[in-house]
Amino acid sequence: MRRPTIPALVVVVGILLLADLLVVNDSLGQLAGVAIDAAILIAAGAALAGVAALAVRRAGDLWRRRGDPVAALLVLGGMAAILVAGLRPGSSGTSDPAVGWLVGALLVPIGATLFGLLFVTTLAAARRTLALHGREALVMVGAALVVLVLLLPIGGAPGARLADAAGWALAVPIGAVFRGVLIGVAILAAVFAARTMLGIGSADE
Amino acid sequence: MSRLAPLLLLVALAIALLARSSGPLQMANPDTSAADGMLDVLGSLPDDSTVLVAFDPDVGTYAEVRGTVRVLLADLMDRDARLAFISLTPEGRALALAELARLERLEANARQLVDLGFIPGAEAALVALSRELRPAAGTGVMATVHADLDLAAVALTIVVGGNDLGPRSWVEQMAIRVDGLRLVAVAPSVLLPDLQPYLASGQLEALLATPRDGAAYRASVELGSLDRLVDATEPTAVPILVGLLAAIGVLGAGAGTRVLAGLRVGRAREAS
Repeated sequence: MRRPTIPALVVVVGILLLADLLVVNDSLGQLAGVAIDAAILIAAGAALAGVAALAVRRAGDLWRRRGDPVAALLVLGGMAAILVAGLRPGSSGTSDPAVGWLVGALLVPIGATLFGLLFVTTLAAARRTLALHGREALVMVGAALVVLVLLLPIGGAPGARLADAAGWALAVPIGAVFRGVLIGVAILAAVFAARTMLGIGSADE
Repeated sequence: MSRLAPLLLLVALAIALLARSSGPLQMANPDTSAADGMLDVLGSLPDDSTVLVAFDPDVGTYAEVRGTVRVLLADLMDRDARLAFISLTPEGRALALAELARLERLEANARQLVDLGFIPGAEAALVALSRELRPAAGTGVMATVHADLDLAAVALTIVVGGNDLGPRSWVEQMAIRVDGLRLVAVAPSVLLPDLQPYLASGQLEALLATPRDGAAYRASVELGSLDRLVDATEPTAVPILVGLLAAIGVLGAGAGTRVLAGLRVGRAREAS
């Protein structure tokens, strides 16, 4: 049987926030503020719990000699480095130069490099999709080819014509499809939210 | 050979990075409407204005907008604006820290930079922040911690997007709660179709969302002594052209092979 506590909580908080948005009332605003602050605290707690769970999991992997020990060591070492840099005596916390260096000189370039390598793997994945799937993959790759041609960095009159064509493609076909998808998602989200707030579940619940 | 192809592509891109653009190649978009839109908004800012910088790019796509973001920040500092950085995602906070550390290292005017930190809670954080930006603000946590900063007097909000809480979230959650909020955005190309409707409706006053629009904006900014705050070398059109041509070649060959295979199968069926 479904427990009514969570849907009831969602209904109360949802109505409170909607009322606060529509009605100017100090008491209502303060109540909504309490709900929002509680959500922020819960999110912060959940984030810390997530990090702690990751550390425990990786430490457990090392202790029991399961999984990839190098990856576990790197994760724990990275966590320890940031914690020591930000929490050591005399540190200025997140604005400490050591934290800035770890983020700016290591984290950001490593992340950008991994994402850059996606260029090669995405091309390989597109070719594999073409080989495995039929018309849908062909349409997708065909559309990608058109967009790639429109993005060619060419100047002068040809470049201006490409820019005009790119603007048209964005405003008309891409815009139409994307707005359709967004409107559909919004309607679905509104329906789902209304069902949750009214306590209407699916038939199998 | 097929195993060597990715390596060859990376080598070609590395060589292209060293080449200089010339001739018909041009990084900046010939259509300068996006860059002009951003310059118009910045030009309309009052003297000594406070600008909120909602810094939430993601590590993966930040390289695409980094150059433009750095020029935009320097441009605002050149216009004597005070920049208040805030992040709503951990990744955005990490990148904001890196940028603030860089600005400090390059001896940017510290009085023009305020670090409002990170608020967890996703949309709830945006709603909480909207309470600080309202004209009747002054009693929230931000107002208490940063007593010298009048958040209700923010003249413009710049959203550096890429992560979950980007320009779209700001329009949907913040613009409806704060009267007169002015929003502009810098975002990677992947978000362009998502954000274009907000630009068309005026909910976003300006948007730089492609490398070429970013290049057009950067080319139109004169920074003078604050030139030291921006990247010394601009991305050129050659590596982008090489990458695009490689992608067009690989995808075109794959699609062509698929079409030919389909035609052969069709003919074989007709023959049988």
